[in-house]
Amino acid sequence: MTRRFWVFIEQENGKPHQVSWELIGVARRLAGEIADEVAASGEEVLVEAIVVGHNVKSVAEEGLKYGVDNVYVVDDEVFAHYRNQPYSKALVEVVQKYKPEVFFIGATTLGRDLAGAVATSLGTGLTADCTQIQMGAIKEGGPKLLLATRPAFGGNIIATIVCRTHRPQMASVRPRVFPMPDQVTEVKGEISYEKVDLTEDEIGAKIIKIIRSEKEAANVEYADVLVAGGRGVGGPEGFKLIKELADALGGVVASTRPCVDAGWITYDHQVGQTGKTVRPKLYIAAGVSGAIQHKVGMQDSDFIIAINRDPKAPIFEIATVGIVGDLFEVIPAIIKEINASKEVQHA
Amino acid sequence: MPEMEKKDQEKLSFDVIVVGAGLAGGTAALMAARAGLNVALIERGQTPGGKNYFGGTVYTHAMEEIFPDFWTRMPPLERPATEAGYWFLSETGLTRIMVGGGELSRTPADAYIGLMAKFANWWITQAQAEGVFLIPKTLVVDFIRDSAGRIIGVKTDRPEGDVYAPVTIICEGVNNLLTQKAGLIDHDVKPERVALVVKQLISLPTETINARFGLPDAEHGLAVSVMGDISLGLTGLGFIYTGKDNVSIGVGVDLDVLDNHHVRPYDLMQHFLKHPQIAPLIAGGQMLEYGGHLIPEGGWSQMPKLYADGVLVAGDAAAMVNALHWEGTNMAIIAGKMAGEAAVEAHKRKDFSAGSLKVYEDKLKDTFILKDLKQYRNFSKFLINHEDFMSVYPTFLNEALGKFFSGFGKPKREVYKNILGSLTKRKPLLKAAGDILAFGRSILGR
Amino acid sequence: MFHALVAVKQVPDTTNIRIDPETGNLIRQGVPTILNPYDAHALAAAVEWKQKLGGKITVISMGPPSTVTTIRECIEMGADRGIVITARQFAGADTLATSYVLATLMQYVHEQDPVSVVLFGKQAIDGDTAQVGPGVSIRMGLPLVTYAVKIHEINLEENYMVAERKTEAYNEIIRTPLPAGLTCEKEIAKIPYASLPNLVYSLKYEPEIWTHETPVMFPLDQIGLKGSPTWVFKTTQPELRKGGEVLKVAEMGVGPAVKSVLEKIKSSGVLNAVAGGAA
Ligand SMILES: Cc1cc2nc3c(=O)[nH]c(=O)nc-3n(C[C@H](O)[C@H](O)[C@H](O)COP(=O)(O)OP(=O)(O)OC[C@H]3O[C@@H](n4cnc5c(N)ncnc54)[C@H](O)[C@@H]3O)c2cc1C
Ligand SMILES: Cc1cc2nc3c(=O)[nH]c(=O)nc-3n(C[C@H](O)[C@H](O)[C@H](O)COP(=O)(O)OP(=O)(O)OC[C@H]3O[C@@H](n4cnc5c(N)ncnc54)[C@H](O)[C@@H]3O)c2cc1C
Ligand SMILES: Nc1ncnc2c1ncn2[C@@H]1O[C@H](COP(=O)(O)O)[C@@H](O)[C@H]1O
Repeated sequence: MTRRFWVFIEQENGKPHQVSWELIGVARRLAGEIADEVAASGEEVLVEAIVVGHNVKSVAEEGLKYGVDNVYVVDDEVFAHYRNQPYSKALVEVVQKYKPEVFFIGATTLGRDLAGAVATSLGTGLTADCTQIQMGAIKEGGPKLLLATRPAFGGNIIATIVCRTHRPQMASVRPRVFPMPDQVTEVKGEISYEKVDLTEDEIGAKIIKIIRSEKEAANVEYADVLVAGGRGVGGPEGFKLIKELADALGGVVASTRPCVDAGWITYDHQVGQTGKTVRPKLYIAAGVSGAIQHKVGMQDSDFIIAINRDPKAPIFEIATVGIVGDLFEVIPAIIKEINASKEVQHA
Repeated sequence: MPEMEKKDQEKLSFDVIVVGAGLAGGTAALMAARAGLNVALIERGQTPGGKNYFGGTVYTHAMEEIFPDFWTRMPPLERPATEAGYWFLSETGLTRIMVGGGELSRTPADAYIGLMAKFANWWITQAQAEGVFLIPKTLVVDFIRDSAGRIIGVKTDRPEGDVYAPVTIICEGVNNLLTQKAGLIDHDVKPERVALVVKQLISLPTETINARFGLPDAEHGLAVSVMGDISLGLTGLGFIYTGKDNVSIGVGVDLDVLDNHHVRPYDLMQHFLKHPQIAPLIAGGQMLEYGGHLIPEGGWSQMPKLYADGVLVAGDAAAMVNALHWEGTNMAIIAGKMAGEAAVEAHKRKDFSAGSLKVYEDKLKDTFILKDLKQYRNFSKFLINHEDFMSVYPTFLNEALGKFFSGFGKPKREVYKNILGSLTKRKPLLKAAGDILAFGRSILGR
Repeated sequence: MFHALVAVKQVPDTTNIRIDPETGNLIRQGVPTILNPYDAHALAAAVEWKQKLGGKITVISMGPPSTVTTIRECIEMGADRGIVITARQFAGADTLATSYVLATLMQYVHEQDPVSVVLFGKQAIDGDTAQVGPGVSIRMGLPLVTYAVKIHEINLEENYMVAERKTEAYNEIIRTPLPAGLTCEKEIAKIPYASLPNLVYSLKYEPEIWTHETPVMFPLDQIGLKGSPTWVFKTTQPELRKGGEVLKVAEMGVGPAVKSVLEKIKSSGVLNAVAGGAA
C-alpha cells in the first residue's frame, strides 16, 4: 500500500503562498518519522501536493523543487479565482481518488475557508490552526497517527488532537510556524493533471468585483524585523514613533489587538492568537504587556527586545533583553544610536 | 407580572421598582413580591452581585429573618466564622486577640464567611423564585416625576427605557447618584467618609488553609480585622476571611487619606501581603480576583433622608455600614426588608406620599441599624482626628508583649520601664490616655 | 418573506480564563459564558436587514441547557424565534458532528419556513476553528461567503444577495443566489443596544428545546463524541521561552541601556542579514 502525505498548494493568480512550501517541509519530515513503520511493512510513502487554479503549471513546477513526489494539478477557467464551492469540489474528488493518509492546508484566510468545507464533504476530522505537527502512537505499539497540536481557549491551553479512524487526517497549519524547507538539488517528482467536471453554470457564487486598498497590506508574517507597539504607545500618534524605529531598522510595524480594536492601526499589523504568527529575526515589543494571546504569536522570534515601564510586565519573561523604561525616551535614543552608527558606516 | 406583548408595548409599569440587585435591593424586592406585588428589580450589571468574588461575613440573624427555612435552601456559604478577632501588626510582629469556642461554636454560627457576589447572586435567585422580576444590564439614570414633582418611576439608559411604579426603592450601593437625584442628600459621598478597600481572592487548597490558620477542618473559619503596620502608616483596616479553598484578604483606607498621602492602593495591598507575618499565610496561592470597592464609613452623619414622595433608600446607599465592625450585609438585608414592607403598606393605603412612607424610618428606629449607627456616629470622626491611632498602638502592643516575653535575665522592673518607654517614645502618657478614652467614647456612642 | 437563520454558540469568555497550574484544566468557576462575539455581530446584521425588509429571524444553537440564556440574549437583540439543541448524546461533538446536527436541523427549519440567509460567526472564540460555518453550508448545499464584512444587497424578488468578504490581500464583492451561507466578521454590523421592552420580553422568552430525538431522530453513532472523528489526545499549557537580562533605565540611564541592547543584538548575529541595521 502507498501511504500519501498531501499538501494543498495555495496560489493566487499563479503566485504561490509560501505556507505551501512550509507544509511540504512538514510533510517530508513526517514521512521520515514513519520510515521505520514503512520499512517494516514494505509499504511505500509519498509526499505529494495538489494545486487548483488556472494556468498554474509554474506553481506546480516550483512545488517539485521542494522535493514532492507528485503534484496533481486541477487547471480550469472556473478555478481562475478562489471560490469555496468549486475548489472544495475539486479537492474532494481528487482526494477520494488517491486516498491520502494526511492532508495539510495552510491556515490562511483562503485555507481555513476551504479546509472546513473539504473535511465536511469527506466526512473526516480536521484540526484547525495547528502550531505543532508530529507522527506518533497514542498507545504503546499502536500505529503512528498525526498528532496535531493547536492553541485553544484564546491560547490558554494547547491541545493535541488525533483523528483515529477517519482518513485523511486533516490539519490546517499556520503560516510561519514551520521553517521553509530547502529545495532539492535534483527534481524527481512529476506533474499530473486531474480532470474535474464542473461548469460555470453549476456555481452559485459569482465574484463581481475585487477591491484592493491603495495601501498594501503590511507583511508582518515574512518580515525579518518587527517593531510592535502595544497599548503603551498611547494612541495613533505613538505608532509614528514605532514606524520611525521600524524604518531605521528596515523592518515592519506590528501591533497588539487592543490597538487594532481601538483603530490606532489596521488589523493586518496584529500579531497573536487572533492575528498573525511571526518568527522574525528581531522582534521589538514596545508598550506591550505580553498577554498570552500576544506571546503565542511571536515567541518564536530569534531575538526579542521588550521595552516597558512596568518591571512586572509578563513580556519580560520571554524577552531576550528587556528594558524597563519609558518607550518615549528609549525609542528615540535607539533611533539616534542607529542613525549615528549608519553615518559612521557611510563615512 | 402583567402580560406584556413584545411589539405593541404600552408602558412598562409595576407596583414597585427596586434599583440595584445587591442584598438590600434583593431583600426589598423579595418582601414586596412576597406580599403579592409586581416588582421590577433593575440591575446595571450582567448578573446580580457582579463578578467580584471577594469574601466577607453574612449574619445568621438577618438571613433567618428573611427565610425561616434558610438552612434547608443550601446557601452557598464558605465556612462559619468560628474564630474572630483582631490582629495587630508591627513592622515584623503580630499580636492576635482572637476568640473561638464558646459563643462562637453555636450551630448554626452567628456569622458565616461567604463569597459576596456568589451569595448575593443566590439571594437574588431566591427572590426571583418568589416572583421578583429581575431586569439586568440596565442602568437607571434618573427618575420620572409627576407634575407635583413626586417620583412615579425611573428612566433607564435603554431606548424606550421608562419604567413606572408608584414607589421606587433605591438600593444602589455606595455611589449615591440616584439618592442625590431623588433629593434625599445633597452631596456625593465625601472622601473622608468612604474607604477604598483593595482586596484579593487567593486560592489555596483547603488543607493548606486549615493548617496555616490553625483550623481543624473546613467547618471552621476565621474572620479577622487587622490593624497596625498594614496601611503604610495610614489609618486603615485590613481583613482576612478564610473560605473553603480560598482566602479573602484586603485593606481599606479612607479615600481622602490615600489622596492626601499620594499612596496608590496597589502599593498598600502589596505592603500588606509582603508583611513577614502575612506572606507565609498566603504563600503559593493563586490570585483569583483583585479589585477595589468603596465602603461607606460615614454612618449616621452621612445618612441621607430615608424617604420622600414615592421613594425610599436602603443599604450602602443610605450609608448603613458599621465602620468598625464592617457590618453592612445584615444592615442591607434588614433595611431592605423594612423598605419592602413599607412599600407594601403604602400600597395597602394607596398612599405613596412621604408621610405614608415614613413608616420605614419608624421601623428602622426599632432595629439595631439606626441604634448602632447612632452609637458609632463619632467613630469615624475619631479616626479623622487621631490619624495615627491605627499605627501607633498596634506597634506599641507588639513591642510591649515582645519585651514582656523576651529579654530574660534582666530585672523585670527594667523590662516594665522599657515597655513604658516604648509607648512614651511615641506618645506622651497623658495623650495616650486621652486617645484611649476618646476611642472608648466613640464606640460607646457617648 | 425574509427569514434569517443565525447559528449562535455560548462560549466561555476567554479573556477571563484561568488554568489550573497542576491539572492544566480550565477553571470554570467564575468564568462567565457569553454569546460568541462574532455570532452577536452576525445576528446584528440579520436585525439590520429585518428592519429593512421585514420578515423574521430564527436563532439556533447546540449546547448545554444553559444555552437558553444565550438564546434570550439573541431575542433581546431582536431575534424572533430561538431554538436550543441540547441532549447528553450531543456532548463531545467536534466540528464535523456539530455541523452534521446543525445542518440537519437547519434543513428542517428551512423546509417548514424557507430561509433566505444562514449566518454564522467567523469563528467561535473557544475553539477558534472557523469550520462549522463552511461545514454546515456545504452539507446544505449553500453557496458560502466567508469573512463577510458587509451585506450590500438582499433581493428577495430576484432571489440573490450581494456581499463583501475580506481576504488577506483585498476585499471581494460576491453575488450568490439565495439561500446563502455567510460567516461574519465583526465589521458586518454594530450590535444594537436593545430597547427595554425587547429586554423585558426576552427575559420571559422560553426557547424551543430540541433533542437528539425530536424533531429529527439522529443516529447515535453520528453525533456527539461517537460521531466525532477528532479526539483530544492531551492538553498542556503553552510553553514559553525563558527571558534574559532586564536593564533598568532608571538605574543605568537611557544611553547606556540602549547601547548595551544594541551591543547584544550585534553580538547575537541575528541582524547580519538585515540591511541598514545597526549591526
Ligand atoms: C480570544 C482572544 C484573542 C486575543 N488575541 C490577541 C492577539 O491576537 N493579539 C494580541 O496582541 N492580543 C490578543 N488578545 C488580547 C490580549 O489578551 C491582551 O489584551 C493584549 O495583548 C494586550 O495588549 P497590550 O500589551 O498592547 O496592552 P496592555 O496589556 O494594556 O499593556 C500595555 C503595556 O504598556 C506599558 N506601557 C504603558 N505606557 C508605557 C510607556 N510610556 N513606556 C513603556 N511602557 C509603557 C504598560 O506597562 C503595559 O504593560 C486576545 C484576547 C482574547 C481573549
Ligand atoms: C471588601 C469589603 C468587605 C466587606 N466585608 C463585610 C463583612 O465582612 N460583613 C458585612 O456585613 N459587610 C461587609 N461589607 C459591606 C457589605 O458588603 C455591604 O454593606 C452590603 O453588601 C451592601 O449591600 P447593598 O445592597 O446596599 O449594596 P450593593 O451590594 O453595592 O448593591 C448595589 C447594586 O446596585 C446596582 N446599581 C447601582 N447603581 C445602579 C443604577 N443606577 N442602576 C441599576 N443598578 C444600579 C449595583 O450594580 C449593585 O449591584 C464589606 C464590603 C467590602 C467592600
Ligand atoms: N454548537 C453550535 N451551535 C450553533 N452554532 C455553532 C455551534 N458551534 C459553532 N457554531 C457556529 O459556527 C461558527 C464557527 O464556529 P467554530 O467553527 O467552532 O469556530 C460560530 O461562530 C457559530 O456561528
